[in-house]
Amino acid sequence: MDDDELIMRLAGGDDGALRELFTRHAPVLAVRLRAVLPPSDVEDVLQETFLAAWKGARSYQPDARAGGWLWGIARRQAALLLRRRGPATAPLPEVLADGLPNPPIPNDFGESVATNAQLAAAAATLSPVEREVWQLMYIEDRSLAEVSKLTGVPEGTVKSRAHRVRRQLRAALGGGLR
Amino acid sequence: MTAPDDSKPGLDGIDVSGIDLRRVWTGVAAEVWRRQPGRVERIATRLLRSPGLARALVTTPSLLVPWLISTVVVFVIGGALTLAGEPLVWLIAPVAAALGIAYAYGPGVDPAWELACSMAVSDRMVLLVRSVAVFAVNAFLGLAVSVVSYWVIGPAAHGATGRAAGQAVAVTFAWLLPMTAICALTLAVAVATRSASAGAATGVVAWCTTVLVTRAITSGELTAAVTNSMTYLPYLAVAACAVAVIGFGTRTQRGAL
Amino acid sequence: MNIELTSVTRTFGGNRAVDGVSLDAGPGVLGLLGPNGAGKTSLLRMLATVLPPSSGEVRLLDRDPRHAADRREIRRRLGYLPQNLGYYPAFTVVEFIEYFALLKEVPPARVPKAVATAVERVDLGGKAKSRLRTLSGGMLRRVGIAQAIVNDPDLLLLDEPTAGLDPEQRVGFRALLRSLGEASTVVVSTHLVEDVGAACSEVALMDAGHIVFRGTPAELIARGEGHGVGDAPLERGYSAVLTAARNGSVAA
Repeated sequence: MDDDELIMRLAGGDDGALRELFTRHAPVLAVRLRAVLPPSDVEDVLQETFLAAWKGARSYQPDARAGGWLWGIARRQAALLLRRRGPATAPLPEVLADGLPNPPIPNDFGESVATNAQLAAAAATLSPVEREVWQLMYIEDRSLAEVSKLTGVPEGTVKSRAHRVRRQLRAALGGGLR
Repeated sequence: MTAPDDSKPGLDGIDVSGIDLRRVWTGVAAEVWRRQPGRVERIATRLLRSPGLARALVTTPSLLVPWLISTVVVFVIGGALTLAGEPLVWLIAPVAAALGIAYAYGPGVDPAWELACSMAVSDRMVLLVRSVAVFAVNAFLGLAVSVVSYWVIGPAAHGATGRAAGQAVAVTFAWLLPMTAICALTLAVAVATRSASAGAATGVVAWCTTVLVTRAITSGELTAAVTNSMTYLPYLAVAACAVAVIGFGTRTQRGAL
Repeated sequence: MNIELTSVTRTFGGNRAVDGVSLDAGPGVLGLLGPNGAGKTSLLRMLATVLPPSSGEVRLLDRDPRHAADRREIRRRLGYLPQNLGYYPAFTVVEFIEYFALLKEVPPARVPKAVATAVERVDLGGKAKSRLRTLSGGMLRRVGIAQAIVNDPDLLLLDEPTAGLDPEQRVGFRALLRSLGEASTVVVSTHLVEDVGAACSEVALMDAGHIVFRGTPAELIARGEGHGVGDAPLERGYSAVLTAARNGSVAA
């Protein structure tokens, strides 16, 4: 089944078609996005891209350019992500334009992005439950009680997971987080 | 269990420059497969303060739309037909409610019963909520049809038979007490025997027997099962005993499943 | 320790299904082997808080299941797959797993991700929106495994989980077991000796309500050296221990 047929099926609510589309196109999109975004941002943008494709499949005009359609959605989602970060973030690099398979990483992207990228790479070494604690406590700045309530585990368990998170991130980043 | 499908490339092990595509897909799937609770479920969640209980309530077999429609039809027929000048709601309501209760929940009707007994939301709470809801729905339908029947059919029929207005009102409303007793008895038998069918059959037979016996005792008065005040205490006793059996049968200290 | 059993007994009428069993288990995968009627299912039911012991003490996840509040907390962190699990034919795969996630009081905001993760872990992503009545026996068993793991349990109890799975699915399942056993206590009751050997860090062998062996698969194999009955080393060990137990030797 070609991409146009898959997207037509997507428009009809076939989640199997979305899965197939993801399998075919997500790796390429990931590579193109990874050139300019850290891994965790790439994952977020990819997720939003395919959800947008799922919701907007009816607007697709069959012309055998599914890859370009998806890349257009991915660029818009990446732009939204960067805009949400505020003015401190560099504007959407031109490398997110069409047609460049593996553009070089721009060298004026800013220290904060490099640090974010390092942190995100370090966070990727965590287990799912540890990553959840990392997200809630250190990114969203929630209290121990809130995290305990949200995750449904006792505060003691949250504390020991947070301890493991700090230890692993310290090791991954070579010191820095207390 | 994580082996990919042979017919197409899967998501396993694809690590593109440190990106976990499997995790991305899971996030997409979570949103695509997400179920949106309906309005009834959202209200039930607020009232019961438990999303699990609310979900269990709206999935009660005897509260699903096909069953509800059948119940409405049965009640309307009961309201439209008369016997000896009385609409038949009083006769039908206890049986309809008992059948609904028997097939609401429990080991005889829930194929995943053993699993349900290991849940944080206790099976006893689910049973209570579902039974009360089924009873309330049937009581409401019965009352609605009964009141309408009384005003449409009742006065003319009562005038013809010379029946007192008080007795007519009793027939219109007093079936709630025997309905409570029959429902409790049905549920008790269903819990004790772990069979919804046994509970349902017991409820139907018990009510038919009650109607016939009270009619015989009161020299032929058909509606004696609901109008004769001597029946009220026995109904309350049956309901109390049945509730005790249900409480004992649903305790965590139980035997083989 | 996530499981602490002290002299636990369970009787049904005159029959002692579980007889004076003491057992401690922490994180890892514990295989529970034994012939039919050995008491494995009754033991698992007690661990799942579905059946209370007739005597003895049970502590799960550092709590006492006799107390209602503790029992509720245990059940939030418990995953259980009964030997005979019925299904709701009209539910889809996702609906069924979500239903039990809600009954386990998984926070509602986390339910969609938890369900999707569980579905993908048992490789049923292609059947997520399919009604259960359309699925094969092996797929239904995987649905059962998915509902057991949806709440990321600290204590996972699986009674004959590989029933109906084909050999390739069983290989995948053993890999899943090993990953689950890294952070949780997993107890797998099975009569398939090869499942135990491949996935379990420890084995307990039950017979007539008693635990007659507790040790690693390698230790069970060692018990079978020189024993003639059985096609594979683990089977010979299994058979040797059972024979010794039935002949009156204390093998545990």
